Amino acid sequence: MRSTTKNTLLKVVILGDGGVGKSCLMNRFVSNQFDEHSFHTIGVEFLNKDIEIDGETYTLQIWDTAGQERFKTLRTPFYRGSDICILTYAVDDKTSFKNLDMWRKEFANYADVKENNQVPFIVVGNKSDVPTEEREVSPLEMETWCNDNGITSCIETSAKSASNVQEAFKMAVQHWLKLESRADKSETVINDTVDLSKKQTENRTSCCIGSSDDK
Amino acid sequence: METEPDEYHDCFMQDGVLLKQAPSSHMTALNTIGTLYIYEVTRSGESCNKKLLLEWKQNDITVDSDVQYQEWAVVNTVQKRIRTLSENMPEHHNRSKSLKINFDEIKSFKVCNKNRQLTFYDGTSERICGFLFQHGNCEHLVGMLKTILKVGVSRRDKQIYVVYDSNSPEFQELNRSFAALNLKNEDNSFWHMFKHFKENPYEGSLGAFAKVTNFVYRSVEGSDPDILSRDELYSSITELDDGVPHSGGEYEVINALPQLPRRKEFPRCNPLTEEQWRSQFNSLGQLEDVDSIKNLIFRGGVSPTIRKEVWKFLLDYFPWDSTDLDRQQLINKKNEEYYVMKLQWKSISQKQEDNFSDYAQRKCQVIKDVNRTDRTLEFYAGDNNINIQTLGDILMTYVMYNFDLGYVQGMSDLLSPILWLMQDENDSFWCFVGFMEKVMSNFDIDQAGMKEQLTQLRVLLSFIDPVLANYLEKHDCGNMFFCFRWLLVWFKRELNQDDILRFWEVLWTGYPCHNFHLLVSVAILEHESEALMENDNGFTEILKYINELSGKLNMELMLNKAEGIYNQIKEADHLTDSVRSILGLPLIGTKNRGSEEQSSQQESPFESPDLSTPRTEPCCSVDNVRISPDEIAFEKSISSSFL
Repeated sequence: MRSTTKNTLLKVVILGDGGVGKSCLMNRFVSNQFDEHSFHTIGVEFLNKDIEIDGETYTLQIWDTAGQERFKTLRTPFYRGSDICILTYAVDDKTSFKNLDMWRKEFANYADVKENNQVPFIVVGNKSDVPTEEREVSPLEMETWCNDNGITSCIETSAKSASNVQEAFKMAVQHWLKLESRADKSETVINDTVDLSKKQTENRTSCCIGSSDDK
Repeated sequence: METEPDEYHDCFMQDGVLLKQAPSSHMTALNTIGTLYIYEVTRSGESCNKKLLLEWKQNDITVDSDVQYQEWAVVNTVQKRIRTLSENMPEHHNRSKSLKINFDEIKSFKVCNKNRQLTFYDGTSERICGFLFQHGNCEHLVGMLKTILKVGVSRRDKQIYVVYDSNSPEFQELNRSFAALNLKNEDNSFWHMFKHFKENPYEGSLGAFAKVTNFVYRSVEGSDPDILSRDELYSSITELDDGVPHSGGEYEVINALPQLPRRKEFPRCNPLTEEQWRSQFNSLGQLEDVDSIKNLIFRGGVSPTIRKEVWKFLLDYFPWDSTDLDRQQLINKKNEEYYVMKLQWKSISQKQEDNFSDYAQRKCQVIKDVNRTDRTLEFYAGDNNINIQTLGDILMTYVMYNFDLGYVQGMSDLLSPILWLMQDENDSFWCFVGFMEKVMSNFDIDQAGMKEQLTQLRVLLSFIDPVLANYLEKHDCGNMFFCFRWLLVWFKRELNQDDILRFWEVLWTGYPCHNFHLLVSVAILEHESEALMENDNGFTEILKYINELSGKLNMELMLNKAEGIYNQIKEADHLTDSVRSILGLPLIGTKNRGSEEQSSQQESPFESPDLSTPRTEPCCSVDNVRISPDEIAFEKSISSSFL
């Protein structure tokens, strides 16, 4: 049981193509600021921010890296020890959406996460504020991709308008909690030798939220 | 049949060696890290049949120690939680590969990239393989090779060593002298000696190797080899052990801290004035005393009124010795050249672009980044800013100028102040080209140039502030990664516009030594050392602290301190060759007294009489080297003259 007086520190890595708004998401979440013309990230930066969920406080240590392929060898060491990976694309940039697969693999490869179904991914489609005619990826496409890749949490955000940004990080923590409790459970049943080859037939409770069809 | 196993005897080993070029059979091992060995194989049952082999073995890749990125893998900031099934380690083991090289195959080898890259050639103008040394350099191995193979330095290219054919008269003679030395046959003592080298810092060993070489040369010259006994040779090597400061490959080994000379103050001076500048031109419009001009610029920068003109010289757009007429012609020529290149990409249709993904990717990234470059400056502010458009056009034209490099993040930062100052597309482009020449290796695909600089920074810091260097090492910061942004874009993100103009023009002079920006970094780290080491700070705290120094640095003070540090280093009694080579100072550890000319050829691949142009050889330059058999014959003929 987790103590209520102690903060849990979670390492969060934001990944995605250059220019999809990784730094902007981080800055909106941490300091509620948005600068349309902020610099692109060089090297690695991180910020800390507390978030409260169900009466418990979590400190998110959010890592933001340069998105260009060239800097891969400098970026990947920072993946290790991550609790959550936020895969980010921009809804007006189809290529960035297509590259999610590359980012997912890169993270899984270097993050040292042991079991595939426990990779703590959530998918974020940023720039949901763009006019409809500039949109290149629909919420449905996002959900389909997530379903195909076994990712249960996805959300559209706008760092510019602040829409869903808090929610995205909250979702990330909830997702982590879910994995954690599932891990705890399997830890107890593992002593009774559970059949791992058996397909998991859980009912996937989708928590995908599209900003265009807010509930 | 008796199958006694072959006996192996290691003579040499160096780890952290990246395979850069390899035969097609080993393509998959390219750019992976391994260890180089030289070992002696004794065939079973035939004690006299000994053979030396060079072998590179890929390090095992395991999930737990990602060796490939070991030098960066320090960032485990959050305690890992143990989840279930953690014992199921994927079967990544035993993926290692090895590459064996027969010494007979090697016809020449080239040492470049500050002694960190070694390429072997087989004489048919083909490379056999190439290695990049990530820990330290290949001086050690070259020393070893020089004793195994009979080599001489190419006079056409100091970086190339040519191997003599075993049938050549030079070889026969050398061989006789080796036999006279009677080193090899006695209970492996020869190899024990090399093992002994291995454990020593390389300066010491190289000095020792030079003695061996010296010894051999003297024998060839006809002196009686018996006069110098093996013991004498051995003791001449061991004596080097004492008193020579050790740099254990990567770090200075600190027992009692050697004292640095007192640091002097180097107050900054006034900028180069228009009068000073104009008075230096003769009637043809040629600069008379380039050195003193550069010195003035180094001391105080350039007055803003003449900056636009001076930068064209500093960035090698205008040659320093050009006349008015030369420059006028150059401008016309370069202008035309620029617009031809610009037209090349401007005329690419949307359809072509769709079918040309390498190009489209570069273009896409350029557009994204120029919109995120210096938008707070008035010059680049606002929607549909024409200067942002020009910034993008220049970068796209640079993509056509150097398509393989293309556009790498950070380049827009380097161009922005140039365009801001020049306010001319053509001039800005060519000045940018000059800047890129100076920092090309920052943008290597494998980031080798950046890694090298971070390593060099660590070496310099350990020399100046061993306490801080030790602290960083003990706190998982030994890779100096937190300085990455400083070095990639030369402090562009740390200084305001006025300061960056001044700072860059000072650095472009190339005074007072190579890599002065690394000394500036050392100055800052030393200045901040108390804060960096407080509260038992680890990597994350230090990264955060360094990132937050942005906008708070006193540039003039740092330049002042860095120059003080330079002079301390230069005058230090315990100055090592590893430090000398970083700063481009002449190396002395391996001086061959018998042959002054030869030693300078062998040991100073970095020497450059013109300090104004820091060495910026891109890693890939080695790819362009092809050596024909003719050339080897030629090399042999000219090199034999000093044997």
